[in-house]
Amino acid sequence: MLSSLCLVLLNALVISVAAGSDYHEQLLLRPLPQNTLLASFNFRSNESAAAFEQQNFRYFPRSFGQILQHAHAKELHLRFNVGRWDAENWGQRPRNGAREGGTGVELWAWVEADTEDEAFARWLTLTNALSGLFCASLNFIDATKTIRPVMTFAPEGQHANSSNLHLLHGTLPHEVVCTENLTPFLKLLPCKGKAGISSLLDGHKLFDASFQTMAIDVRPICGQGDASCFLEMEQTVDMVLDIARSKRPRDNPIPRPLPIDQLECDTSKLYNAHDTCYPLNKGTDPAWTLEEVFGKPLRGACPLTEQSGDEVNTVCINTPPERTVEVRTTGQFAESKLASDTVRCYKLPTGAHFDLVLPEQKMSTGLVRPDPQIFAARSINGHGQERGSTQSIIRNPSTTEAVEIVYLESLPWFMKPYLHTLRARVDTTYESPIKETYYRPAVDRKRGTHLELRMVIPPSSTLTLTYDFEKAILRYTEYPPDANRGFDVAPAVIRILSPQSGDNRGVYVRTTSLLLPLPTPDFSMPYNVIILTSTVMALGFGNIFNLLVRRFVGIDEAPALGAGGLKGMLLSKITRLRGLLGKA
Amino acid sequence: MALISSILALRRDKRILKIPPYLSALCVIVGIAWLLVLPLNEYSRGTYVSENALLPGQVHTYFTGSEHNVFRAYRHEVHGLIDKPVAERSQRLETIFREQNLKVATQHYNYTVSNRTIANENVYAILQGPRADATEAIVLIAAWKNMADEVNNSGVALVLTLARYFKRWSLWSKDIIFLIPGDSTSGSQAWVDAYHDGHDQRYVESLNIKSGALQGAVAVDYPAGPWGQRYDKLHVVYDGVNGQLPNLDLFNTAVQIASGQMGIGSVIQRMWHHDNSYKDRLQTMLRGMISQGLGHATGPHSSFIPYHVDAVTLQTVGDGWHDEMSLGKTVESLFRSLNNLLEHLHQSFFFYLLLQSNRFVSIGTYLPSAMLIAINFSIAAMALWVKSGRRTEPIANPASTQPKSKPASSADKEDKGDTKPTHDIKHAKEKAPAPQQPATELLEIDGALAIVPVASTTVTERALLIPALLVISAHALGLVPLYLFNNWDADHLPGLFITTANIITLFPIAVAFLFNYTSPHILTLQALTLIQCFSLLLLGMFLAALATLNFSLSVLIGVACVPLSFVRRSTNMGINAVQLGMLALLNPCMVVQIGTKLLGGNLAEILVTAAQGWHIWGLWTQVVVWLVWFPAWIACSVVVASGIFD
Repeated sequence: MLSSLCLVLLNALVISVAAGSDYHEQLLLRPLPQNTLLASFNFRSNESAAAFEQQNFRYFPRSFGQILQHAHAKELHLRFNVGRWDAENWGQRPRNGAREGGTGVELWAWVEADTEDEAFARWLTLTNALSGLFCASLNFIDATKTIRPVMTFAPEGQHANSSNLHLLHGTLPHEVVCTENLTPFLKLLPCKGKAGISSLLDGHKLFDASFQTMAIDVRPICGQGDASCFLEMEQTVDMVLDIARSKRPRDNPIPRPLPIDQLECDTSKLYNAHDTCYPLNKGTDPAWTLEEVFGKPLRGACPLTEQSGDEVNTVCINTPPERTVEVRTTGQFAESKLASDTVRCYKLPTGAHFDLVLPEQKMSTGLVRPDPQIFAARSINGHGQERGSTQSIIRNPSTTEAVEIVYLESLPWFMKPYLHTLRARVDTTYESPIKETYYRPAVDRKRGTHLELRMVIPPSSTLTLTYDFEKAILRYTEYPPDANRGFDVAPAVIRILSPQSGDNRGVYVRTTSLLLPLPTPDFSMPYNVIILTSTVMALGFGNIFNLLVRRFVGIDEAPALGAGGLKGMLLSKITRLRGLLGKA
Repeated sequence: MALISSILALRRDKRILKIPPYLSALCVIVGIAWLLVLPLNEYSRGTYVSENALLPGQVHTYFTGSEHNVFRAYRHEVHGLIDKPVAERSQRLETIFREQNLKVATQHYNYTVSNRTIANENVYAILQGPRADATEAIVLIAAWKNMADEVNNSGVALVLTLARYFKRWSLWSKDIIFLIPGDSTSGSQAWVDAYHDGHDQRYVESLNIKSGALQGAVAVDYPAGPWGQRYDKLHVVYDGVNGQLPNLDLFNTAVQIASGQMGIGSVIQRMWHHDNSYKDRLQTMLRGMISQGLGHATGPHSSFIPYHVDAVTLQTVGDGWHDEMSLGKTVESLFRSLNNLLEHLHQSFFFYLLLQSNRFVSIGTYLPSAMLIAINFSIAAMALWVKSGRRTEPIANPASTQPKSKPASSADKEDKGDTKPTHDIKHAKEKAPAPQQPATELLEIDGALAIVPVASTTVTERALLIPALLVISAHALGLVPLYLFNNWDADHLPGLFITTANIITLFPIAVAFLFNYTSPHILTLQALTLIQCFSLLLLGMFLAALATLNFSLSVLIGVACVPLSFVRRSTNMGINAVQLGMLALLNPCMVVQIGTKLLGGNLAEILVTAAQGWHIWGLWTQVVVWLVWFPAWIACSVVVASGIFD
């Protein structure tokens, strides 16, 4: 029985107090149930607004800064996401879901512009430029994938002139995030993955994680009262590693069955024998080291980070105090304990490798994992080529507090919801949970559906939201190469309005994306038709051409070439040649 | 104009009117002969994998070594649960899945069919693909009890072991769902219905956890006990409910992996020994057709196919040298292939007849046979329609009685072409000079005069209402047995069947007698012809449409109905008796009974299964039997029976 210890909110550790131009990075490790490990990387670089305007970049990456200036983007949030957060086992999302996107790529930004059209033009500039920078298909975020959310997103930064700011939001649920996106991400960092915690980020392990999200957030922050503003860029990577899978060496990654002598058996079973083995569930925390799990050593501190003050602790691990954590390094490091010893933080040595070693250990205490405020799942119901329905189940586990949420759906135009079929039921009450609706219907091939609902879920209740939709038939050129896979529908974004979290980032939950099978023509049919038409054309053309170019002469008019054999053939060739030359 | 009139003239040609029965017979003969030549090499093709992404058997399989030890342990665990109550069993299975860090849930279902309760629990676990986004999933099934009602001991243990083994891999691009339904048919139906939210919540519990769109399902059936049993071959079962079939690519992949990679032979349709001869191919095809035609669930995979989820069951048969690990490796390789899929299986055939595990006939080749059989009824219906518009008594030749009056030949021809009088024809009826001479009339068309027999220009009105009503009521009558057989108590179903069989055999005679006794003017010769005509027309239409959905059912019913297009009301008592006797033999109940005897089935079981199919699987076979076949049989039998009372 694990007794509960102190609760530490992950976001409490990420304190955003900074001024001027500086750079800070932090890694928080947190073992999760089922032998998994949550690693949260946070890189923050600040630049004063004045320096930014004059293109005087120090920690802020120049390539990125210039794009922002060119597109007049005042605040930007970019997300790359793979996998799912398992809320039931892992609890609350890292950073309350505020630094997390839906599957694929998600981008939203506040663009400064006088008119909506200008804002959209600048948005296209932004997506195209970012597409080049991050090797992602962000340029495919066109008008059909762009929405202007009303309630779901609020600016995190302080904007002086907020009247002409336009919020635009686009997602690419089918985009596969991989190493080509990680490399430009790392290049934006001052230490570029050569030193500091970013040296742990390796594509092989990052993209083998059960859940991983990369985020870039740029926002202006102004001090209270004074006019000195600075631009903060925060890069975060949250990943959940399966320890057993990550520890597999790169040269032998195949999970072959264990040798029989290494298999641990439950000997209490009556049938246990030399050839029969019920696998023993030892219930111990597995052994791991940073280098094993990340596949690369941690190459000391990034020399650009602050060397004094509150933020010198770069690597933190959140475990019960009884867990043995050994440090293996040749350099100078400092350890400090926070939050009733459940968080151990280390100041990294500069220029020397640093490693944490955790042996296998049977634990008697565990950490309390904060429960998420809501659980959400969304799925497509029904089958067939014509219509279907979507069902979202949102559960409020709290026994005391009602939860107020905003539910945002951004649907592609070829998925046409019938709003009159929208039903929101709460299992504990007959009262409608919908308080406010914002709906902007789709226009074929121009824009997608945008639906926002503000809803209240009473304590310990489950809300079921369903609506029917019709599947449009596309033109044959509009199908992607893998048409029979179906079309991805972007995850729904749920923002929790109340109870509020401590910071101004908001609390977000995203559902998984959906696969929408559309009626797909048999693409071999046009091919057959083309072949058939070509054949008919060729036959027709051949005959007519033949009639046109052939010269018909009476048999008696033809020169006496009747003699066959070689001589006849030669003679006929010569005659023909003569005829051709004579004509010319 | 001349062409049209000569064609119209042809319509009256007696020789033409004699053709339809022969044409019908030709259609039937060619249709059946067509089926018989299908097994020949010239008409069938070797199977091949169309979908390049599948790459069957291209991966190394690693399911060996210590996994065998784990498998043996799970097999003992499963064996220990056989006599336990359902709830305890589910709980233990859930625990094992949970030890492997999978998401687990249980679904309860409770159907009441024919006053019998089918209640059990499905346990399922979801392995979330590490890089997957919950959009796609593939299903591995081991029903707790197989179709023969044996406990699927090794099959369930294999699924548990594979779940543990699969969990360690990072390469899954789709979620994998491990499903252990309580039984082979209703359990998987309840689960797949609930997965698509198409279930009735009174009987089936909703699913707590779901994943993405199902891309394929594979069921294993390996009932060997705790000490194992080596098997000889894999029996690949592929028939879905209502005769729907999985994509041929999935079947081919399974066969190719089993034979090519693992060296396990595969058989289909219970043809344990197939020597690749014409006879064996034909037998396999016919067995496949009967199974497809009946449309019943043949395994846990069957329920998935109506939802466009391709599925097969791998069943171990015989005594050989293959062990559970080779079955596990086959499943592993099959799942690696399915995992490669970028798109839903769509490349290969969905309509095919298999002759052996690596030979098939595609729809384009076999469909004409069912269509020809269906067309035979339409031809007969057309012939009857023409016949109904003709006079029954022969037209005497006026020329023989009045040789002096010579009709103008051109006008005569045009008259013969016209059954309906047009406005420019003036009728001038003449009283026949002598009673034995046929009545004649004088016609004037465009100034030309003609004297023709009255009989040849008289319009024969077709009284359509009563025949149409009678045919419709025959179809409506089919609803009665349809309702009764689907809702009667299971214990009384055989009794009901015998009663129904007796009633419907005597029913046409009774109807004919009643009509003849009470109102003989209703069932005139023309009305009877029209009844048969409408009934055959409908039958032909239904069967042609059905042939595109369930070819085998259309052929089976078409063949059983063939005599319906040839029986006619006769004045000869002997011919009537022979016809009635034949029809009595071919009435739906008798055919079912004889078929059951021949195939070695149990009638009571079949009736219960049919009712179960109607309520749980959404089986449509009985609709076709009672609302297509039965009305056609009744209508034609009434026509024949009315001949007795003349």
